[in-house]
Amino acid sequence: MARLGTDKFVVEREKEVATRLSPGVFPTGRQSEWSAQNRTLTHSVHPLTNSVALCVAGKQPREQLKTDIRTYEQDQRIYVCGFGTTPDERLSFVNDTHAVFSAIQSIMDARETHVGVDALLRMSALYREAMLRQVRVLQDARDSEFVRSESDVFQAMHAVWHLLEIVYVTTNAGLSASVVPYYMEWLNFNFPAPAAADGERIIGSSPDSNALAQNPDVWPYVQKLALRGHVTTVANMLERIAPAQVLSAAASRWARELAQTARDMPLASSDETSGSFNARWRRWNSGLQSMATNIGSMLDKADDDALSALAMVVDVMRGDADSISRVGDTWQDVLGAVLLYSEPTAQTERLPALAQLVLEQFESDDFTLVDRTLAALVRHELPEFLVYCNQIDAWLSAHVSDLMQHIGILDSCRRVFKVEPREHYLVFLGERYLTHEGLWRVAMDYFGLCRTRVSQNIMGEYIVRMPLESDRKAQQVLRVCERYKLTEAMERVHRQLGRQKWQRGRLGAAIAHFVRVSDSSAVGQICDQLWAEYLASGQLTYGPIIDSVLATSAHDRVRFLTVYRDFHECYKGGEFKRAGKLLLSILVGEIAPSHAVPDLLVDSIPLLEGDALVFGADDTLELMRCAESVAQSLVDSDVCGVGRDELSIFNVACARNLARSYVMQ
Amino acid sequence: ELVLWTTANPDFQPTDDDKDNDDSESSSPLATLVAKVKHDGDVHDIAAPAPDIVATASSFGMISIYNIGHTDSGDSSLSLREAVTAHKFANGEPAVATSLSVQPTNSADAEIASCGEDGRIAYAPILRLDALQRHEVDSTVITGVCWPMPTQLAIATRAGQVKLFDRRAPAEVQAVFVDPSNTYEFECIAAHPSQSFRLATGTDTGAVLLWDIRNPKKPTMEAFNVHESNVWSVGFHPSDAAKIVSCSEDASLAVTQWVSDSDRQSRGVRHLSGFFNTLSVNCFDVCPFTRTSIIIAGSDSGNLLMEKTAASDFAIY
Repeated sequence: MARLGTDKFVVEREKEVATRLSPGVFPTGRQSEWSAQNRTLTHSVHPLTNSVALCVAGKQPREQLKTDIRTYEQDQRIYVCGFGTTPDERLSFVNDTHAVFSAIQSIMDARETHVGVDALLRMSALYREAMLRQVRVLQDARDSEFVRSESDVFQAMHAVWHLLEIVYVTTNAGLSASVVPYYMEWLNFNFPAPAAADGERIIGSSPDSNALAQNPDVWPYVQKLALRGHVTTVANMLERIAPAQVLSAAASRWARELAQTARDMPLASSDETSGSFNARWRRWNSGLQSMATNIGSMLDKADDDALSALAMVVDVMRGDADSISRVGDTWQDVLGAVLLYSEPTAQTERLPALAQLVLEQFESDDFTLVDRTLAALVRHELPEFLVYCNQIDAWLSAHVSDLMQHIGILDSCRRVFKVEPREHYLVFLGERYLTHEGLWRVAMDYFGLCRTRVSQNIMGEYIVRMPLESDRKAQQVLRVCERYKLTEAMERVHRQLGRQKWQRGRLGAAIAHFVRVSDSSAVGQICDQLWAEYLASGQLTYGPIIDSVLATSAHDRVRFLTVYRDFHECYKGGEFKRAGKLLLSILVGEIAPSHAVPDLLVDSIPLLEGDALVFGADDTLELMRCAESVAQSLVDSDVCGVGRDELSIFNVACARNLARSYVMQ
Repeated sequence: ELVLWTTANPDFQPTDDDKDNDDSESSSPLATLVAKVKHDGDVHDIAAPAPDIVATASSFGMISIYNIGHTDSGDSSLSLREAVTAHKFANGEPAVATSLSVQPTNSADAEIASCGEDGRIAYAPILRLDALQRHEVDSTVITGVCWPMPTQLAIATRAGQVKLFDRRAPAEVQAVFVDPSNTYEFECIAAHPSQSFRLATGTDTGAVLLWDIRNPKKPTMEAFNVHESNVWSVGFHPSDAAKIVSCSEDASLAVTQWVSDSDRQSRGVRHLSGFFNTLSVNCFDVCPFTRTSIIIAGSDSGNLLMEKTAASDFAIY
């Protein structure tokens, strides 16, 4: 079979998805009529989730049409369609595997290489458990097309993951571990054959060995059992068949011999050296070879169906490639038997060559997606493998590329792909998860644990578009920004929150957010708003609002409002001297906005006119200086909240106070 | 959605000294779903004023009361009895009701107090929700509310203040407590079940603060840094008030022994977390009715976490 060309897999095509709008926008088949009535569809794509909002729009505005057209109820509808969303049924799977994924990243971070492989094996087993759990849950669910396709997907993912684990992780751990027992375990778990039900049926329908021997299904069944290495069952079946009367003496005898040989098949044990195992195996194999020759010579002399079927079983078990190919249905079967019966101590390095030989015998066009994936894996063609994984499911390609990265085999793929594969697939999966509103945090973790600059940027863009429905959600978003060091995104979120609270009239909280990002113009504007409210209502109610702002904020306007509030309290409390000092400190420190200064000067009038001397000579001069600058700016512009009369009263009061102060001092 | 679950009473289970993992495979699930009902908006807080009533605070600013019904055949159901909008912003948008607390009296006319992002506290008698009163008390988000006494209410705000109110004069702040040395933001507050001068608050940096407000001018405060991230909920253990339980964004629960008691248990912290639970633990509750203490918590990973431990002070004579 020719190797797939590079151009065939580097360019991926996304599966096209189409949805029918239902109820429809126009009656079926009448699209041209509908379109002729100045109608078309317009859309808007959601920034975060893969959903699109659609509605009917006019090609031209209705007012510009020469003749008016009728409107229909369908014109008022808005449709929201989702694509590539994560279904609810997968939620527990997503959460569990997310926990395993995070654990892997933190384990590998710890950089203890000798622990690494064991830990990876455990984590890999946890992934597989999660997949199997999901399959079980789906089996319990009500049957539907969705459930069936999901079930297929998860079983496929499990088969692929299991093989990946065997080929790259399990055998990495052992010193010179053979891949064969693991391969057989994988084969028999994920592609069980022959079906136990078949065996029961055959035995059930044949009450005695005669009937059994005559049952047309029995020999193929035994051959398949042998192919899969179920040697004990083979032996049992042969012993049941052997006493049949219909069998020739030779067949009967050889059946018993074969049963015995099957039971004697050497199995590797951990405390045996490979040398002694090989020796035992060669002896066993040569026993089978001689059996085959003997049976062959008997068959030359006379035709015997049972005996030739038996010969086939012997041929399979002695590792004859042709017989194995004839008995085996799928390439996985054939590869398994080849490994088991001709190279039982084969290591992973042998797999590609053997697999190539086996795969050549099969038509690659008939392969399913799973077959292609497994074939690519077995032949160690990793870039192809990754691409096929992605076609099975986004979850698979993301986690496979992550595992490959940690084992260290992803480098060969990097030369082939234009973009970094792990990052590409993890980001893709994260975007899938974002389509479900409950999985946003999981998606953020996938982006974050990807740890590349590109994923950081993408994460920053998505996080600032998260809807901030509640205070707690906002806090969680800020925590995510903090954890993954997205300082720019954090600032943007604070600004958003500030604006949100401003609109809702929560001015104190808004100020606090803007102070965090040092947005002094926004703080200034809010303070101006507070000041304007005070002027309008005459009641100083902003006190508690200012109190709650962080005391450490050094913003001028905030300080101005705070000191002014203190001034107000002192004045109300009758502490005029202190009040005067505070007022003066505002004017001297120039922390008041220019439009507020005239009001402050007017506020000082009662203090100037009061019985006690509040302002000394210097203070009064200061006040007058301020008045001067105000008058100056009044000349320049006509805008002033305070009337000129009041200013002249102020000037008179100042003069009187000045005189008084000179007298009293 | 509001969902009712039931779990086996651990007091009546055969005592196993060794809890093997193999046993858990064959035993029944930890909790089974009993009833479900639709809820408008997200549920931000739940309280159970009576055995057959559940009150919730929603993200649309509503307080809703649900009845739990039991039929003769053993089925249970949840149904909405009344709902009222308690929290709104000045521009008309609904404000999230962040927390709820039930007045600790035995009278039939007990009240529910709820606080929200609009800086208001709302009071409503449980039996007549439409007689709701609202009072604006703070300019930032109020994150938690509790009743140290039937006539006194305490709130925790995001600006790091604990404010006390007298129910009889609800719009006036009776006292304000701040920690001047630290800029905390409080996420939750809880009152000691019997000592009304002790309050516990959880902060956004992972500390649990224990307040003693006997002297309102000089409250004392002790900080326990038990978590690494926002402490979403805090509470005194109903059977052993020397323990404070808290749950946090860092996906764990902590049980803090804040005072050494007569059983020679010294001060310390115990952490609870699960391998498959990596996301924030949002809320928890402790079952006050069984001798074995059950702590149950809910997390963002969609998990219901439970811990059932034998009571340490129960002995067989």
